[in-house]
Amino acid sequence: MAEILFYVLSALALLTGFGVVLAKSPMMSILSLLGSFFCLAVIYLLAGFQFLAAAQILVYAGAILVLFLFVIMLLNLGDMGVVAERSNSFLDSTAARLGAALAVGLGVIGLVAASKAAFQPAQAEPGKALDGLEAIALQLFGRYSLAFEAASILLLATMVAVIALAKRQRKSGQNPTQNGGRA
Amino acid sequence: MNPQDLLQLFDDRALAAVAPLLALAIGIIVLLLSGVIRAFESLRAPIVVATLAFTGWLVASNFATVPGSVIDGTYIADRASSAWGLLFVVATLLAWLFSHRYYAESERPFQVEHDVLMLTTPLGMMLMAGAANLIVFFIGLEVLSIPLYALASFRRSRARSVEAGLKYFLLGAFAAAFFLYGSSLIYAATGSLQLAEIKAIGLHGPLALGGVALVMASLFFKISVFPFHLWVPDVYQGSPTPVTALMATGTKAAAFAFLINTMFMLPKSAALAVAVVALVTMALGNLGALAQTDVKRMLAYSGIAHAGTVLLVVAGTLAGDPESSGALHAALFYMGAYVFTAAGAFGLLALLERDGERFTTLEALKGLAQRRPFVAAALTIFMLSLGGMPLTGGFLGKWMVFSSLVRAGLIWPAVVGALLSVIAFGYYLRVVIALYMQPVSERDAALPSGQTSAGSAAPAAIAAAVCAVLVLVMGTLPGLFLDRLP
Repeated sequence: MAEILFYVLSALALLTGFGVVLAKSPMMSILSLLGSFFCLAVIYLLAGFQFLAAAQILVYAGAILVLFLFVIMLLNLGDMGVVAERSNSFLDSTAARLGAALAVGLGVIGLVAASKAAFQPAQAEPGKALDGLEAIALQLFGRYSLAFEAASILLLATMVAVIALAKRQRKSGQNPTQNGGRA
Repeated sequence: MNPQDLLQLFDDRALAAVAPLLALAIGIIVLLLSGVIRAFESLRAPIVVATLAFTGWLVASNFATVPGSVIDGTYIADRASSAWGLLFVVATLLAWLFSHRYYAESERPFQVEHDVLMLTTPLGMMLMAGAANLIVFFIGLEVLSIPLYALASFRRSRARSVEAGLKYFLLGAFAAAFFLYGSSLIYAATGSLQLAEIKAIGLHGPLALGGVALVMASLFFKISVFPFHLWVPDVYQGSPTPVTALMATGTKAAAFAFLINTMFMLPKSAALAVAVVALVTMALGNLGALAQTDVKRMLAYSGIAHAGTVLLVVAGTLAGDPESSGALHAALFYMGAYVFTAAGAFGLLALLERDGERFTTLEALKGLAQRRPFVAAALTIFMLSLGGMPLTGGFLGKWMVFSSLVRAGLIWPAVVGALLSVIAFGYYLRVVIALYMQPVSERDAALPSGQTSAGSAAPAAIAAAVCAVLVLVMGTLPGLFLDRLP
């Protein structure tokens, strides 16, 4: 049962993954990504990673994709077909995008296959997660406590950086968009 | 590990090791709060100086006491990382001094944010230099990079500055992704993210080598080495000059510190390949610099060439330099001299530039010796040191790099590298000639040498003078520094 589910979900994840690359409208692209993330989350669950599955849905599907959607709606991007028609460079073509996606995917498969021996398959006890919250917490506040604390400074600095760049200048006549085109 | 054991991770040694990081973090928060309260406006500059001075003192005491490997072996505060840390503090202090009165009035309201971001960067650099774990390094890399992305585009009214920030951000994001992907492959191959454990297990097979290649690509991007150097001229030229000084010195030093720690990842057989990459970088940097008429852009290309030179020590170690810490010593001394020289040169440009952008062109520097003899003299010292003239710090750094190569038996790369350094004099001397031997152009003579922005330039001028003196001291009395190398 689990095996069948795995193959079905993997196929779905791949299909939606191609959807992200091939979709004409950015909205369809995002929705495909959402589907791909959900399939991945269930695959994590099947492998015994309960926390990872929940985090995947909460962080990626819940927060990041919603942010993507906000940006797309704010920018009012709509159909990217117009942009695609205007630029005829090779990098923008569907073939190039598909080719890049395939090349990266095949590269990863090749690397994993070439060193399959390096992987030790982990076995979860029935009904118990491989990634218990306690284990994660011990890692986070033990070995990785320095990185964890430094991440708070990182977030603070990011916030300051974004505010400094996005805030309107207090003095008039210095609107960046007015001078933006002058290179 | 049990929850009870967690506390044991934070013994006195660990606290001493991370004390400089804590001091910086507290300084950042206090500075941020002082930005909200109008009454504290005059306290902002002292807060920055005090934070950096206190951090420097803590790092220096770590250099003496050597807390060692702490927090489950994820962070190391030994003599090497403390020496690098001191360099980062100095680089940040210099960049901050040069930035103090650099911005025009219209950009002033963001001074607190600017200073907070600048104060954050050494925290990232120290994490990078002391990291003994790939995750810790990655967080450090981001703590350093994200403030720099914002600082690069801090002059939002100038299209060049915005372009520099965007370019740096996009390419930096790629480099960060490369690093993460490479680390995940290394983890898959070895089952560990700790440098010591990875070293013990060894990196074999395509999975591990793919990971190493990706990690090295991201490091090469940060130190701006061929083929990841193309972003440098635009970003260095477009960014505000004090930020360029910080990027050219601090970022590069931090990435080199980690590269020296991770050299073991590269296979011994890669020595010649690394040497060739370094020499190509030197050639591209020097040839590119020869063609420039803008001094800031020229210094950007020269920075590429210098990164190539320091990369040669990696090749030397891989080829079997019998002196085990030869690479570390050479890189430390070279980057030490480079921090003072490049920061000083960019700082002087920032000082001259305050009345407009024209002062970064070679044309505008003509005859400067008559009008501002001290600025011209200091700039000459920096140019000669960048070129590697004897009696300056730059010469000794180059000498240590090339002698490491010779010890390792890589004779021809050392010869080619030395020849490429001589080419570099072609463009460094052009600046000196413009300063002393060419008349002031008519157009410039008419312009006032005015200082339009408020406040005195004294802090920046004193910082530049100290840099010039230190460059000469490093060249004439190198024992002062060499005897203290870790």
